[in-house]
Amino acid sequence: MMLEIENLKVKTGDVEILRGLSLSVNAGEVHAIMGPNGSGKSTLALAIAGHDDYIVTDGSIKFKGSNLLELEPEERARQGIFLGFQYPVEIPGVNNAYLLKVAVNAVRRHQGLDEVDAFEFLKLAREKMALLGMDPQFLNRGVNEGFSGGEKKRNEILQMAMLEPTLAILDETDSGLDIDALKAVAKGVNALRSDDRAIILVTHYQRLLDYIEPDYVHVLSQGRIVRSGDKSLAVQLEEKGYDWVREAASA
Amino acid sequence: MTVSPLPMDALRRAMAELPGDRLTPVRQAALARLQESGLPTTRHENWKYTDLSGAFEVAKRALEAGSASPKDDGVQAEIDAVRNSIDAHWLVIANGRIIGEPPPDLQTPGFEVLRFSKSSTTPSIDEPLTALNAALLEDGLSIRINDGADISKPIGILVIDNADATPGMSQVRVAIDLAASSHAQFVEYHASSGSAEHYSNTVIDLTLADDANVEYLRVQKRSLNHSQTERMNVQLGCNSRLCHCGFDLGGKLSRNDLNIDITGAGADASFNGLFMAGDGQHIDNHTRVDHRVGPARSTQEYRGILSGACRGVWNGKVIVHDGADGTDARQANHNLLLSRKAEIDAKPELEIYADDVKCSHGTTVGQLDEAALFYLRSRGLDRRHARQLLTHAFATSVISKSPLPSVEGLLREMVEARLNELAASDMP
Repeated sequence: MMLEIENLKVKTGDVEILRGLSLSVNAGEVHAIMGPNGSGKSTLALAIAGHDDYIVTDGSIKFKGSNLLELEPEERARQGIFLGFQYPVEIPGVNNAYLLKVAVNAVRRHQGLDEVDAFEFLKLAREKMALLGMDPQFLNRGVNEGFSGGEKKRNEILQMAMLEPTLAILDETDSGLDIDALKAVAKGVNALRSDDRAIILVTHYQRLLDYIEPDYVHVLSQGRIVRSGDKSLAVQLEEKGYDWVREAASA
Repeated sequence: MTVSPLPMDALRRAMAELPGDRLTPVRQAALARLQESGLPTTRHENWKYTDLSGAFEVAKRALEAGSASPKDDGVQAEIDAVRNSIDAHWLVIANGRIIGEPPPDLQTPGFEVLRFSKSSTTPSIDEPLTALNAALLEDGLSIRINDGADISKPIGILVIDNADATPGMSQVRVAIDLAASSHAQFVEYHASSGSAEHYSNTVIDLTLADDANVEYLRVQKRSLNHSQTERMNVQLGCNSRLCHCGFDLGGKLSRNDLNIDITGAGADASFNGLFMAGDGQHIDNHTRVDHRVGPARSTQEYRGILSGACRGVWNGKVIVHDGADGTDARQANHNLLLSRKAEIDAKPELEIYADDVKCSHGTTVGQLDEAALFYLRSRGLDRRHARQLLTHAFATSVISKSPLPSVEGLLREMVEARLNELAASDMP
């Protein structure tokens, strides 16, 4: 089992957002987490990544058999967990290429590998950027500085492609994307699919799942998974709306 | 009688030791002016946040001890280090004494360097610290850039102070005049050495005639037992342009007054600063722009990084005088507080007496952005590295405004080194 979440309860401030969530993800699988606004989708993503504002009050998260909750966010990242942010942060003055390189080397050091040299790094970055249809000029800019919404999301996918994480969690990566950007993002994600990796797609809409086909779809409502199924569940949701699930949950 | 807190007899004795030359009557006039005005205290609005009594105590002990020559070995090493790292026509003032005659390479056509004692330049005495400077001034440097000259290599002014056995005090005075349509670059570098305390008092007068163009970089990297006050008076003629950038990286107490007088239409002044203070340091930047005519533009951005128990001050005053229509004045001050014990006093002041003007000001005080910190950590950077990166990014925006591209690399190294020192001593 790659990721095993059991009865997870998470609060932020005084508000309990996740109220006993359980989820198991195996290597090779793609899971989609869907649900209405405020159901706890982003909280789940941020809790797995280790954000300080999200406090786990009960339950457990195990990653490859060991307790994830003991680890700092950077340790989780180095072990191969990647969070693609819903709202990537602009960091003027920190060079995009520099951050990419430092991030790649942090993971490599953890794995006991040599750091990539500048030449190797640039070659790899240009390759991945071509795949995502990104202008190489983006490497020289500040991290997300002045990027459009679509450019920021592509930049997240570029980071993911460079880091080659074991577990990628993409938090509403599809929101605000035009169709070209959506296709580019899907291409990046699909390129990463493999037997030894897992991907969790957090999304509000079924649209993304036309391009990235999930193995499982889970519906989150009021901090719990209320329904799980295969990709046909997403289609059903699209047709019937989230009220259908809410009714099912309270029934 | 005293010019509180400096004893009059010791002041007179120090003046008597200076050479008798054409500056002698000016020194006497300056002393009389000083007796009248006294020295600034925190009761003066302009000095509310900066207490000079510690610096004046050093001055008093230095006066009582008599003048001390700088220790040659330490000073020479420092001079060589600066000369080797920045390519410039260097003029050196050590412990207030101009070292040597202007070197031969300064006799290039286009500009001349003279001592006040051998030129017609007379030091001003209008402000208390300016009067103190004039009263005890051994000699000043007068730099003149000729009509239409374009000096490609920067002119360096190295102010270096050394006090070892007894506390020291020094006065530095430089007058720079750019004739019409001339262009020059300047690097002013303050360094210090020695185990004893020192107080240095610098006055720079910079005058730009019509269409003159200046890039000016000021770097203050004194040791933590040296204090300094500095006043730069700038006068801008029609369509002249000043691009100034100051870096305060050291010093126990550092107070900088940058006063810009815009007397010619079409003038453009841009001035920026970065100050970085750690435990026990006090750095104060006071700027004042007098827009006397329009249209003209002034733009300033000062950034402070404060760590440990220290204090930073920024006071930016803009006065748009009656009739200065078409003035465009912008000021910004951003401060990063990395410790609970750090204090910043930031104050923008705008006085507008003209109708058609554009003025803006903004001041921020804050900690590192938590969202950015988490973002970096989620990419595998540890907290310390993430903090360093964000702090560095905050400083970088000033470095990128530095007017001398040839010194940018060195500035980056110096800022980085200082950040690492601050991080080692303070960051959680």
